[in-house]
Amino acid sequence: MLVARRNLSRDRLRLALSVAGVALSVALILLLAGYREGVYAQAAAYLDHAPGSIVVAERGVANFLGASSTVPASLDARVRAIDGVRSVAPVITQFVVFEEHDRKDGFFLVGYEPTTGGGPWSLVGGREPAADDELVMDATSARQHGLAVGDSVRVLDRPLRLVGLSRDTTFWAGSLAFARIGALESLLRAADLRSFLLVEPAPGRAEDVTRAIGQLGVAATPVDTVIANDQRLLARVYDAPVGLMVVIAFVVGVLVVGLVVYTATVERRREYGVLKAIGARNRTFAGVVAAQALIATSLGTGAGVALAWFGSAALMVWRPQFVVRLELEAAVIVGAASIVMALLAALAPARSLGRLDPASVLRG
Amino acid sequence: MTPLLLARRNLLRARGAAVASIAGVALALTLTLALDAIYAGVANGLTAYIDRAGADVWVSQAGVRNLHMVASWLPASTTQQVQAVDGVGEAVPILYATDTVAAGSDRSVAYVIGLPPHARAGGAWSVTEGDPGPLPGSVLVDAGVARRGGVGIGDTVTVLGRDMRIGGLTEGTASLVNSVAFVSFGDFNAARGRGLVSFVLVRAEPGRDAAALAAEIERRVPGVSAQTTAAFAEQERRLVMDMSADVITIMDGIGFLVALAVLSLTVYVATLSRRRELGILKAIGARNATLVRSVSLQTALTVAIALGLATLLTAAVAFVVPRIGVPLAPAVTAASLAKAAVSALLAGLAAGLLPIWQVVRVDPASAFKHGGSAR
Repeated sequence: MLVARRNLSRDRLRLALSVAGVALSVALILLLAGYREGVYAQAAAYLDHAPGSIVVAERGVANFLGASSTVPASLDARVRAIDGVRSVAPVITQFVVFEEHDRKDGFFLVGYEPTTGGGPWSLVGGREPAADDELVMDATSARQHGLAVGDSVRVLDRPLRLVGLSRDTTFWAGSLAFARIGALESLLRAADLRSFLLVEPAPGRAEDVTRAIGQLGVAATPVDTVIANDQRLLARVYDAPVGLMVVIAFVVGVLVVGLVVYTATVERRREYGVLKAIGARNRTFAGVVAAQALIATSLGTGAGVALAWFGSAALMVWRPQFVVRLELEAAVIVGAASIVMALLAALAPARSLGRLDPASVLRG
Repeated sequence: MTPLLLARRNLLRARGAAVASIAGVALALTLTLALDAIYAGVANGLTAYIDRAGADVWVSQAGVRNLHMVASWLPASTTQQVQAVDGVGEAVPILYATDTVAAGSDRSVAYVIGLPPHARAGGAWSVTEGDPGPLPGSVLVDAGVARRGGVGIGDTVTVLGRDMRIGGLTEGTASLVNSVAFVSFGDFNAARGRGLVSFVLVRAEPGRDAAALAAEIERRVPGVSAQTTAAFAEQERRLVMDMSADVITIMDGIGFLVALAVLSLTVYVATLSRRRELGILKAIGARNATLVRSVSLQTALTVAIALGLATLLTAAVAFVVPRIGVPLAPAVTAASLAKAAVSALLAGLAAGLLPIWQVVRVDPASAFKHGGSAR
């Protein structure tokens, strides 16, 4: 270990560059994993804050995002009449594309009744919509488009007046926006239709209520299951590209450490040859090389975790719509990957020392 | 000895380091190229239905200029109004919703299209098995989606809240984000019956200019937006690119930093190991300018080879990905290559500064000291 440390610390700039290379790779892997977790958290944000623990949708629909569902408005009264139902919040949802300043953005537009809930859970400005031509949008999206309370926003074929700004309502593909249910009925030409009913059962009555709602010919699914289903849908979109990026970052890390340890080893060939001539075994050299790789990788991993932490904080300040959730589990996996990275990186220099002929260095 | 020869020799002498350097930079550039290719592939995948639906002009609810996940609802009478516009050969109404196709426990997002019988636009363009169009009670789904859900012709899937029999399998109808499923107009109406239509697909009379026809439809039919297929597809690509612009910028930044670190490290290490030789060259009269040019060329050679490799690697990814069952065809674009080249050039210029500083500081006397190779 001492030899390994000395070899590495002999050129500190080289060590610093290698640590930087590994740190960037590790930070990239952590940021990608954190971004993916953030996407999932954002996907759950609305249902986490909305009233109700059972999502009632059209038969066969067990998703909230990515699925369209229509149920008759009259279903509301029928569900309320079920014994054990404490509250029902009807909502209409629709993704709409919003265009300002030549840039397209997505709104996941939610129509709700202020009396039953399902609207914005945290307003940072203005108020909730009181009329069908009023809109609440995410404060970050509003700021990025230069919009303020009182401005007019064109949604589909009509203008709505911005009356409130919400927070924590961005998501991976845009942001949440809220209007009264009547506004959605009119925009979507969907009078007497609802997308979902968010139902809260009385304590201990969830199973009875779910069963009773199911008998009405619609789907009743626990909120947690719906959130898990939505996250599975997202995983199909995100996992392949994120996985590819993680593999590339991992290979870059291996190459950087491998290069540093290799050059540090080649530079000391003469000394290693002398050690070999006086009886040192290949196993000893392999240990020295592996220790160098482990030191460089450990330093890089530590710096990478710190970089990811600061990077994610800076990213969320620069672009608040991005939520990056650094998870302990991801850090542990990256730590384990770093050890693999170090061992792979040590392979080439260890082989080079294994083939070293002691006589050749003594001759030199 | 010319700077180019010196640079080439430096690279060739430490082949392991040179290979690692080129590979590291190539991979860093691949980060940005692959991400661009993935998004371009997603954008192309999303426009597949628009491109292949067989329409010259798309008519939608006013203000609706995209297809992805949006809602567009028009009165049924719009079809007749559009048909009456001079230059319209055929107006085909379709119904559209973004929904999930559920096969057992497997769910995937799909554009569900409701098609009138014998529609000459809006239908599947490649049916590999089964009925060519959706019959009442049946649905055409993408073959990849069916395979993933473990279902086939005659099996039941849930679409629009109804159980439907798979009547046909299509290909080329799935992207990373969603697939396209086709049901009959009647079934769609029964599930979401509102007496409305989503889009009217227009086939122009032969020789009619689609852009002029779209403008004429917007002028003559109230409450609609009309776009040519090319314009509609362009709007869809913009949606993907606008919504992913920040992610791409961040990844580009990280890719640039990784390339910079790898390049700095490798050129620095290579120069360091040649310190003794550089000292000898200086002692026999070589100028700093010659040595600086040699180091710069070494950096430039590394970057150029790495950029070529990164392009090949990304092209290989683009070739392999769709062949391993991922519904995505990454597309390498000229704009993306130009961006990677600029990024590589900047990284190369920045990375070259450190070894140049080393070269300038080399003391010719060091060449004659015993073992003066390291520091």
